[in-house]
Amino acid sequence: MKRWVILVLVLVLVVVGFLLLRLKPASQVGGTLYFLNWAEYIPKDLLKKFEAETGAKVVLDTFESPEAMLAKLKAGADREFSLVVAPDYYVLQMAREGLIVPLEKGKLKNLANLDPFFLDPPYDPGLQYSVPYLWGTTGLAYREDLVKGPVDSFAVFFDPARQVGPFLLLDEMRETIGAALKYLGYSVNTTDPKALEKAKELLLEAKRRSVGFAGGVEALNRILAGDAALTLAYSGDVLQARQEDERLRYALPKEGGTLWTDALVVLKRGPSQDLAYRFIDFLLEPENAAALAGYTRYATPVAKALPLLPEEMRQDPTVFPPEEVRAKLEYLKDLGPDIALYDQVWTEVKAR
Amino acid sequence: MRRLLTLHALLVYLFLYLPILVIVALSFNESRRGVRFIGFTLDWYRSLFQDPRVLEYFLNTLLVAFVSTLVATVLGTLLAVGLVRYRFPGKSLLRYLLYIPVVVPDVVMGVSLLLLFALAREVLGFPRLSLFTVILGHITFQVAFVTLVVRSRLLLLDPALEEAARDLGARGWQTFWHVTLPLAWPGVAAGALLALTLSLDDFVVTFFTAGPGATTLPLYIYSSVKLGVSPKVHALSTLIIGLSAFFLALGYALTRRRV
Amino acid sequence: MNEASTPWQRAFRVLVTVGPGGLWLLLFVLLPTLLVLLASFLTRGPYGELTGPWGFHNYAKLLHPVYLEAFAQSLLVGVLATLISALLGYPLAFYIARHPQRDLLLFLLLLPFLTNFLIRVYAWLVLLQREGLVNALLGAFGLGPLILYPSFFAVLLATVYTFLPFFVLPVYASVERLDWQLLEAAYDLGARPVKAFLHAVLPQTYPGLFAGSVLVFIPAMGTFVVADLLGAGRVVLIGNLIQQQFGITRDWAFGAALSVFLMGFVLLSLYLYARLQGERGLKDLV
Repeated sequence: MKRWVILVLVLVLVVVGFLLLRLKPASQVGGTLYFLNWAEYIPKDLLKKFEAETGAKVVLDTFESPEAMLAKLKAGADREFSLVVAPDYYVLQMAREGLIVPLEKGKLKNLANLDPFFLDPPYDPGLQYSVPYLWGTTGLAYREDLVKGPVDSFAVFFDPARQVGPFLLLDEMRETIGAALKYLGYSVNTTDPKALEKAKELLLEAKRRSVGFAGGVEALNRILAGDAALTLAYSGDVLQARQEDERLRYALPKEGGTLWTDALVVLKRGPSQDLAYRFIDFLLEPENAAALAGYTRYATPVAKALPLLPEEMRQDPTVFPPEEVRAKLEYLKDLGPDIALYDQVWTEVKAR
Repeated sequence: MRRLLTLHALLVYLFLYLPILVIVALSFNESRRGVRFIGFTLDWYRSLFQDPRVLEYFLNTLLVAFVSTLVATVLGTLLAVGLVRYRFPGKSLLRYLLYIPVVVPDVVMGVSLLLLFALAREVLGFPRLSLFTVILGHITFQVAFVTLVVRSRLLLLDPALEEAARDLGARGWQTFWHVTLPLAWPGVAAGALLALTLSLDDFVVTFFTAGPGATTLPLYIYSSVKLGVSPKVHALSTLIIGLSAFFLALGYALTRRRV
Repeated sequence: MNEASTPWQRAFRVLVTVGPGGLWLLLFVLLPTLLVLLASFLTRGPYGELTGPWGFHNYAKLLHPVYLEAFAQSLLVGVLATLISALLGYPLAFYIARHPQRDLLLFLLLLPFLTNFLIRVYAWLVLLQREGLVNALLGAFGLGPLILYPSFFAVLLATVYTFLPFFVLPVYASVERLDWQLLEAAYDLGARPVKAFLHAVLPQTYPGLFAGSVLVFIPAMGTFVVADLLGAGRVVLIGNLIQQQFGITRDWAFGAALSVFLMGFVLLSLYLYARLQGERGLKDLV
């Protein structure tokens, strides 16, 4: 009996000891890069390649909604991550909130690989705080066989008479409120309280008819599973999911969708900052940028990577919308303190 | 009447097992979506085992569970002994505090620990949100359960036994080690087992207290489910179901033999 | 008597046994609870930080119809889940208690319960999907497909599924201790079965019935995971509101007020329970 107890104790101690070894920080030569990114937004091979090149370890954490990402950082996680992929309209906000400081451009040798347009984008003039990661559009995704009627306008969400099937609302504040604003004829960047009040009413009505909220990747998976027929979605996500089911389609609404860039930012209080810069530089190399774009099916801002992309992707108007389509698309802008108006609308829409 | 009761029980057991059986069956289904069984495959298990992250999350879960259970069992047992044997100022406060982690919804527990850690990090510079903070959180609710379980066992014991030990000249710690602890042992073991189960199962407190790289299996399952139903999650679930069934059956067989 | 009781030695023993655990409870239970209470009187700053002014404004906000609605929904889930658990669990407890193989039946009851909580919720997601098993069955009868998920129904079903054993176990304990002679006595006095049950059996199971109800009601109304996964934003309970304040909208002060409110409500229902059952009742819960 006693021997039996001792045996169990020894066994437990061995297991605990073995596990305790894991508590020690990874003693990699090159340190550890803590990277916070959208879900399914980078191929694993690319991370492995970086690890092989630098001897560093990459710890990837993902988020599904940018609001959740920002909330996580503000809850203290900004000391735990080195590098974050943020939506363009969050860049200046994060700077204002003291999460990021201007980039040390001297550490980035490959900036010249960027398309000149992205060297001075509207969301971050002069690329003071960020480096573009990928860009794309937001539009309507639907399964051809499940909708009964044309999908060409935000009316499919907001006009009960024109609903063509069960739909999901995208769990992202600016995009979804933006769609309601567009449908009502306002800019996606309006700060007019009356316009926002109307958008709120519209969204509350739509929510009652919807089959719920979902994050970008989740929404498409649920459409593939047949739980919903259509949703607001990001272009590349749709193309990725399309590889699984040909019946999935993407369309820009006639009211005009949004054009966006996701941006890499280095956190002010984060660990291993030098590694973060090395990773940004790594992503700016044409070969890696092409691998990233090819996997995610989004457009790359690295001009030198374009020739490396497969022909069909370069010709795809969903990936690279033609000039006349682009003219109708709007950038979501940083709104400064007025963002509180949007926060309020979103809180009420989500809570009810 | 009797037959009605049997039918009722049958239906309830069906209700309990149907969802699990469906998951197990679907984990071997070739079709990615839907419930039509089109062919047998082990592909989902293969892709699960090829994902090194899953192993890492599994080890993280074990680490958290073992370390927190160990600490909570020691703290909880001592606390239970102290509460039963001695009178001291603040005793009733401690008794009330013990019930808080038991009755308060875990969301509230999660956010209050988050507040504490955020404040501590701001003022003291530690702890980092990591597996360490997850362990702290788990110990917190485990201590309460262990203490309550061990205490109820101690209250059943005859205090005369300890007195006898003292009368025979045993020192305080000798009494504790040779008399109290062996007698309380079933309570301690039950408390530890409960603590272990609670830790392995916990999602909410972990969700609020975890930092980068501190992913446990429940967190992984949650984020996978958030991304949509997938056969890989079916496979993982089946493995977990199988593992817990195995250990439960083992425990069941062991206790049966003793009776 | 030997050296057992100098005051110093007693103090030392208390310190050794109660010290570490007590300190832990003060640091990780009392302090965070006080912090939540404190935060609930503060204000959300422009960047989501906690600042002044102090006041009851977060509690005033609780009275807004939006939040009252979420609270009403939580109550509804709690009450309905408890009722359904009673309908399913009460007869089952009798069946198990009187079955020759009751150990095995208890084991079978606990088995699904000891697999991960998230998996149990996920299982229902799989069943209730549009192209899931339930709709496939309905389709075989020429019905549907229905949108069963996300819905209030799905949330309720999974809640019952998750917490049912919490109801069965205490009732089972009561039934085991049941004095069947009372029932026979009632029959001997000529009572009909229903009446005999109501007077001779039911009152004896009150302790288990109450304990089971509390054990289902409290977690059912306090959880956010079930509504999060099976309600997909359409079923919003008070737990979801709390998670939203901390995880999305960054209004920690309001989230803290919601937490205090929920905590207060739980303590109130426990207090009522204790009044019904006496002090012993609380111990039975654990």
